[in-house]
Amino acid sequence: MLNLTEYRLDNGLRVVLNEDHSAPLVAINLWYHVGSKNERPGRTGFAHLFEHMLFSGSQHVGNNEHFRYVQSVGGVLNGTTFFDRTNYFETLPSNYLALGLWLESDRMGFFLPALTQEKLDIQREVVKEERRQRYDNVPYGTAFERLLRLAFNPEYSYHWATIGSMEDLEAASLDDIREFFATWYRPDNCTLTIVGDFAADEARRLVDHYFSEFEPGRLFPGFDLQRKPAGHEVRETFASPVQLPRIYRLYHLPKMGETDWVHADLLTTVLASDKASRLDRALVHEQQIAQDVATYVLPTEATGLLLLQATAREGVAIERLESAIDEEVARISVGGITDDELTRAKNRAEMEYAHQLETFDARADLIGMMATYFNDPSLVQRWLDPYRNATADDLAHVARKYLIPENRVTSLFVPEA
Amino acid sequence: MTTTIDRSAAPQPSAPRPYHFPHITRATLPNGLRVLVTENRNAPLVSLRALIRSGADHDTAQSAGLASLVADLLDEGAGSRDAIRIAEDVGLLGGALGTGADWDATYISFDVLSRNSEPAMSIFGDVTARATLPEDGLERVRAERLNDILQQRNDPGAIAGKRFASLLYGNGAYGNSVGGNAESVARITADDVRTFYRQHYIPNHSSVVVSGDIDAAAAVELVTRALADWQTGPEPPRPTVAPRPIDASRIYVVDRPQAVQSEIRVGHLGVPRSCEDYFPLAVMNAVFGGVFNSRINLNLRERHGYTYGARSQFAFRRQAGPFVIAAPVRNEVTRESVNEMLSELRRIRTGDIEDRELDDVKSYLMGVFPATVQTAADLAGRLVDMELYGLPEDYFDRYRENIAAVSKDEITRVAEKYLDPDRVLVVIVGNASQIREPLGSLGFPVHELDIDGNMLAVS
Repeated sequence: MLNLTEYRLDNGLRVVLNEDHSAPLVAINLWYHVGSKNERPGRTGFAHLFEHMLFSGSQHVGNNEHFRYVQSVGGVLNGTTFFDRTNYFETLPSNYLALGLWLESDRMGFFLPALTQEKLDIQREVVKEERRQRYDNVPYGTAFERLLRLAFNPEYSYHWATIGSMEDLEAASLDDIREFFATWYRPDNCTLTIVGDFAADEARRLVDHYFSEFEPGRLFPGFDLQRKPAGHEVRETFASPVQLPRIYRLYHLPKMGETDWVHADLLTTVLASDKASRLDRALVHEQQIAQDVATYVLPTEATGLLLLQATAREGVAIERLESAIDEEVARISVGGITDDELTRAKNRAEMEYAHQLETFDARADLIGMMATYFNDPSLVQRWLDPYRNATADDLAHVARKYLIPENRVTSLFVPEA
Repeated sequence: MTTTIDRSAAPQPSAPRPYHFPHITRATLPNGLRVLVTENRNAPLVSLRALIRSGADHDTAQSAGLASLVADLLDEGAGSRDAIRIAEDVGLLGGALGTGADWDATYISFDVLSRNSEPAMSIFGDVTARATLPEDGLERVRAERLNDILQQRNDPGAIAGKRFASLLYGNGAYGNSVGGNAESVARITADDVRTFYRQHYIPNHSSVVVSGDIDAAAAVELVTRALADWQTGPEPPRPTVAPRPIDASRIYVVDRPQAVQSEIRVGHLGVPRSCEDYFPLAVMNAVFGGVFNSRINLNLRERHGYTYGARSQFAFRRQAGPFVIAAPVRNEVTRESVNEMLSELRRIRTGDIEDRELDDVKSYLMGVFPATVQTAADLAGRLVDMELYGLPEDYFDRYRENIAAVSKDEITRVAEKYLDPDRVLVVIVGNASQIREPLGSLGFPVHELDIDGNMLAVS
């Protein structure tokens, strides 16, 4: 069991401490409960652009100095943005805990005075290059974006990917940045997790010192968008510069953490994880019609998603691959899975979870997620319980209930003529 | 907003907590297999690693891809198990098995729940020393590889890397791809595979590393049980790489008409891992382009907004790997980006280095070390490096002092000695119609290649 302490400052900042002296390091991790889900059409990509801006300095920290302060003492750092949250984190030699808290509190409380048009213009260009590098200039780069467009109605903000569109990035203004910050970057919209080699009393004192003077936001715009399922499969075929056809599918699931979501997580291991998994074995190993196959559930808060993709071998028609996938899924829906398959899936979940807890930074991030999505950081101690309790029938049930045409969207990437 | 506390300066650190690299237990089996073990009880996990000291450097132009193909075949059948049975049993143990080769070596890795270390070691021993290399497995792995190679034809980063290596090293070691090409992979026979396995997968040419939640003596005992019967053989001679001299800077453009970014590679020959100037070079490269706050990234990303990330690297291999600066940039700023890279190369040779800049990267390299060895797998990786490059036993204990000793004069000396801004290869995979003309104004010959490296035009 992890040694966890959770408390809140008067301004609502949630703090979680996990003392662990096995290495002279400290991981500081902040989850702000805001992501691309909270954007609106015409301003997509904004939460992520904002994340970049938060590395460009604050009132007492110069431009590019945030990186410098952390790296020059041997720290590592980054930030990421997804639909539902934005996280910022650094791992430092443990005697620099105060430095990390000083930096994080300065950008939570004193970001706006240092904001300039020039910084925004530079980071806008950097993010546009990120979009080109990861989406527009690589084979299959826009697949996830295309799936989201098919899977969600335009008003529902999972309709667009976190990176946003070039047009919207172009349109982002300083006023947008200010408003976004004032709305969301409040102590009561944040979980601060500290894991590692520190004394709890000292950590509490420092957190109090650096964070307690900030005003809470109290009222945050609620997320009340309604998903409007099509009720039938939505499909597209997309010709692009790729060598091999690839099928992409998204299936709707209950949101992360629901029992069926956990069972779906285990089911993805049974379907595609190693050579003995169903799709790998049938399509890649035996029939040799697929180059690769992958499937996984996404850590999403508002509603759940299961992604499945498979690449056809040269000369194999995508239709043949697709029907082979459907046959394998049907074999599970009808015939269920074996006890051995269930055991393997559970053991893999246990191994992967042990890897996540092994480092201070990944552990802190997991705790931040449990606090943010489930309002319960101690869930990190019990996360595997529903995995352990799952039965073979549970997994077959998930296949029958969710892995059906009416509940999915399909995008076929095919080579240009 | 006003503040009620003093935020004007960064707080001072408290007293540092010492870091010590964990104790390494060493043993050598009678068949010459070297065994290294470190205990780490942070998680209920154990990492097993085998290092075979032969990799794609043994491939010829004719057999490019052989070493990595053999590596891919290891878990297609081993001992009494076939491919599916291996995967099933690994899964039942809560493990993940991986095999692969790079230029210098072949690696087998098995991470597993520590309660299953014993049966895991048995499978690990089979995959390493008792692979059955079935012919149907070879055909399957070959088809997979050919499809991989096909897919890379649309990957701008992969194309740039291949063309750069080939221009620098020709057709021999380090010049082909580790994975080979369509012609060579099609040519490899079952006999080639068996011969490579017999000649190179021998205990006196290999090391095994065990790290994690396991008693060191028990680990050595498990390795002995699994691999004491492994038969020795003559040590294979290592082929020599033959880089082509660069007489003058040239630009090579590979056209990708739909490209919205140019993948740029600028560089030349580097040095081997055994280079006596390893530490000054590591620090110099960190100043120049090795970390986020390096000159190349601050210039191209943070000052100009040309790229999402620019980096430089010395590929420290057994023999001299390349020195490369790499960045994807939007089409319109391709020429400017190459120009900035070259002027940064010139500047670092002039001695123009601030004390603060040097202190920052040195304290980064020294301070970050513990954060990079938190896991059993991290530690295992460090021990594999130690074995592969023949690093001294106290290497990780003395790492900090070696970095600390690097002076500003040494940075300038190694920059002058090992960087040559007047003789570089510039490889760009991008939209030729948009970048060809601006690049011409840099004053170097511009060659156009197709994606297989055939010369199309010179301007």
